[in-house]
Amino acid sequence: MNVKRSTLSLYFIILITTSFGLMADSCSKKVKNNIATTPLQPDIPEGFPKPVYDFENNPLTEEGFALGRKLFYDGRLSIDGNFPCASCHQQFAAFSSYDHSFSHGFNNAFTTRNAPGLFNEAWQSAFHLDGGINNLEVQPLAPITAPNEMAESIENIIRKLNKDDVYRQMFRSAFGDDAITSQRMLKALAQFTVSLVSADSKYDRFKKGLLAFTPYEERGYALFKQKCATCHTEPLFTDGSFRNIGLPAVPGIDDLGRMKITGDPADSLKFKVPSLRNVNITVPYMHDGRFASLEACLQHYNNGVVKSATVDPLVADGIHLSNTEVVDMVAFLRTLTDTTLTKNPRFADPEHKAIFSPDRH
Amino acid sequence: MKKLVLWMVMAPVTGLCLSFMYSPSAVNHPSSKTGKLIISFRNSVDALPLELNKTYINSLQEPFKVTRLKYYISHIELDNTSAVITPDANYFLVNEEAPVSKTITVPFPAGSYHRITFLLGVDSLRNVSGAQSGALDPLNGMFWTWNSGYIMAKLEGRSPASSLPLQQFEFHIGGFQGRDNVLKKISLAFPGGKPFVLKAGKTLTIDINANIQKWFQGPRSISIATHPSCTTPGSLAKQIADNYAEMFSIVSVTD
Repeated sequence: MNVKRSTLSLYFIILITTSFGLMADSCSKKVKNNIATTPLQPDIPEGFPKPVYDFENNPLTEEGFALGRKLFYDGRLSIDGNFPCASCHQQFAAFSSYDHSFSHGFNNAFTTRNAPGLFNEAWQSAFHLDGGINNLEVQPLAPITAPNEMAESIENIIRKLNKDDVYRQMFRSAFGDDAITSQRMLKALAQFTVSLVSADSKYDRFKKGLLAFTPYEERGYALFKQKCATCHTEPLFTDGSFRNIGLPAVPGIDDLGRMKITGDPADSLKFKVPSLRNVNITVPYMHDGRFASLEACLQHYNNGVVKSATVDPLVADGIHLSNTEVVDMVAFLRTLTDTTLTKNPRFADPEHKAIFSPDRH
Repeated sequence: MKKLVLWMVMAPVTGLCLSFMYSPSAVNHPSSKTGKLIISFRNSVDALPLELNKTYINSLQEPFKVTRLKYYISHIELDNTSAVITPDANYFLVNEEAPVSKTITVPFPAGSYHRITFLLGVDSLRNVSGAQSGALDPLNGMFWTWNSGYIMAKLEGRSPASSLPLQQFEFHIGGFQGRDNVLKKISLAFPGGKPFVLKAGKTLTIDINANIQKWFQGPRSISIATHPSCTTPGSLAKQIADNYAEMFSIVSVTD
């Protein structure tokens, strides 16, 4: 009897310790259908405003992020397997299309706008250069279904992903069961893209007092604050507005920008003010990639602005930079390059582990 | 010792019970005091039942065939009472190609009702809230990918009056903000001016007819020859929405 009692007691002690163990575990992990996910905290750099993106509606998890990352680099999201998101959004170029005014899409087609870099997406309230997309989660639907980009249908992607055991497992890990739906795919992609935060450039370190600017950079920064910062507002280096900076439409493309979305002639030739973070590595520039250097951009603001009814008064008469000032300004703009973003192995193609193996476990 | 054993048993059991009590439930359990509202939509061209790919004549004397007809019904209310349903489930896509989609069943509190009200379209909040599921899944072909927002109603077909290739005409009606808003609140009083009673555990069936003719002829005349397509928010979309807002009528209510 005593033996029985002590065995029983031992059983309960084990039971209780296990329960406590499980309770402790559930503090750090969320459990759905007995599948645990590991919560991730959104990366919100010091000094940044409150994010626009609703993280509560799509809580970040290690599993959701990993799935989004795999999807981002997977050619199967395009009709012929050749055009993953990453084909136009290259990490080394801050997730823009390096050295391409227009990106390549399916069947040798070109896009009609320059692919922007992807970073600090949580602070954007509108996506695309015309602001036509109102939520980060639904943005991928545009390039995926565009015939000159990935040219694929959501139905077909879901069909392809369902044939892959790895994906079924990853959807299960991230969402509790292996149903592959458009909503889950889009939320996972958003978990990856919203994690691409850029806030560790030389400029950021300077602001934190960790290093000094060169005299060129310092002069450039002073000029920047005086001549550019109204639209390219710190710390995001954009105010998110739409403006016509005097670039006439290119015949054959005839892109009217924001007016395409609002139908309002007052929005003709207006495009979203891009962030200047990582600007040195997102060459070429402007909505159609018409300028191949930062100097050419500054030259445009100096004396290239073509006036029209909707041109922004802030640039209509040029911004009057001397040649020396152009040099200083470019020196400052180069401090906005963030190699912590461009070399972060967590953001790299998960299928090419070897390249970044020293940093990986 | 017995007490200790009892405590050892009770502690994990109580813990288990507590964890069940606090587990959030996504299901909105209809109480025993609800009945089922069944709305049955039928589409027509005037008095003729709509059949896809069959030729009809619109009021502007243009022959036309319908190849596709879809519209969103959401936020269904009886008088001012909402359905007993999760917010995510409160959206329905009526699709002429899928007969099952034309019958909507929603639980409502038992009661006596005089009218049905619903939104023709998807409210502005859901148009800006990112990836959705169910009736709002972009797979349903009712979401604009280049200018975020739902197509509230879609009518596609062929007509010799159309100047477009293959004589197509295509009305994709959407727009949810400001002056481009095409959302229509439809309110239909039950016939005879008397209330109908939904009893707990019973059904109330409403047959609603949607007369497609109204797309072409309501407050405005929309001829296929002049407007073979409307695929962006704006003034034409608003005119067509003003027209189709008049397409619904109650055929019968059965309690």
